[in-house]
Amino acid sequence: MGQQVEVTVEYLPATQPYRHPYSEEAVLGTIRTDAMGFFGVSDHQDRDTHQFFLEFDRHRLTNAAETLEQLVGPQRRGAHFNLVEEIKPGS
Amino acid sequence: MPTPYPQIERWALPKGIVGATLNGVRAAGLCGKESGALWLGERAEMAHIQTVILPSGQGVEERSTHWRVAPEVFGTVTTWAKPRHLTLLAIAHTHMRGVPVRLSWADRYCSVQVPGVLAIVIGNGGADHDYREWGWFVYAQGEYRELLQHELAERLQIGNECDIDVWRADADGVWPIER
Repeated sequence: MGQQVEVTVEYLPATQPYRHPYSEEAVLGTIRTDAMGFFGVSDHQDRDTHQFFLEFDRHRLTNAAETLEQLVGPQRRGAHFNLVEEIKPGS
Repeated sequence: MPTPYPQIERWALPKGIVGATLNGVRAAGLCGKESGALWLGERAEMAHIQTVILPSGQGVEERSTHWRVAPEVFGTVTTWAKPRHLTLLAIAHTHMRGVPVRLSWADRYCSVQVPGVLAIVIGNGGADHDYREWGWFVYAQGEYRELLQHELAERLQIGNECDIDVWRADADGVWPIER
């Protein structure tokens, strides 16, 4: 069992962040899904494609299989993300 | 677990927020392009709108048919706003002359969709200075619905407070605007 990392995810319209401890082996896809559940949002498609991303240090994270340890390095106790939505216009 | 979206019954809106928003969007309107602003503040039963963010530049599209803000801009605003305990309460944007102050399909579905958030449409490219003539919509029960005049009068409390903040934002950061 890896070290615990206290994860915080902020979403601009929400009054409070999503906070949860994860093992450093946890993958970003799990954190994204959990945070989206907390904020009550979901990826979906209508005329356009709506997808939510985690941001870390101003970079959009697209590799859902990346672990916390790979992202932030070993021995880090906390990690802070933003949740943002990308809307790709349909054709 | 407490909700991240406490119920909003009313909004306290300083007149200065209206003026700062109009000042920010008019230039694009004069060029025939839509523009807009994010209103931030304290989300509570009485939500206090305190801050205008005017997105422009990198990550912002101002066109005759739409105003679009990239996720990277929302990211920089989030990073800036959260340590200040500010929450997004409303997104205001302009429609051009002759276009009704109603939400288009994109306005309804390509915007933030969380309970209590306001979507506001300012007519005539920002030339309509009377906020009561704007289109006011609130997201509730899975869709935006219009706030009718009597409801707007009941739920919107206009104040004369001067202590508002006006900032510019793009994909690189957030900066104060001298007024």
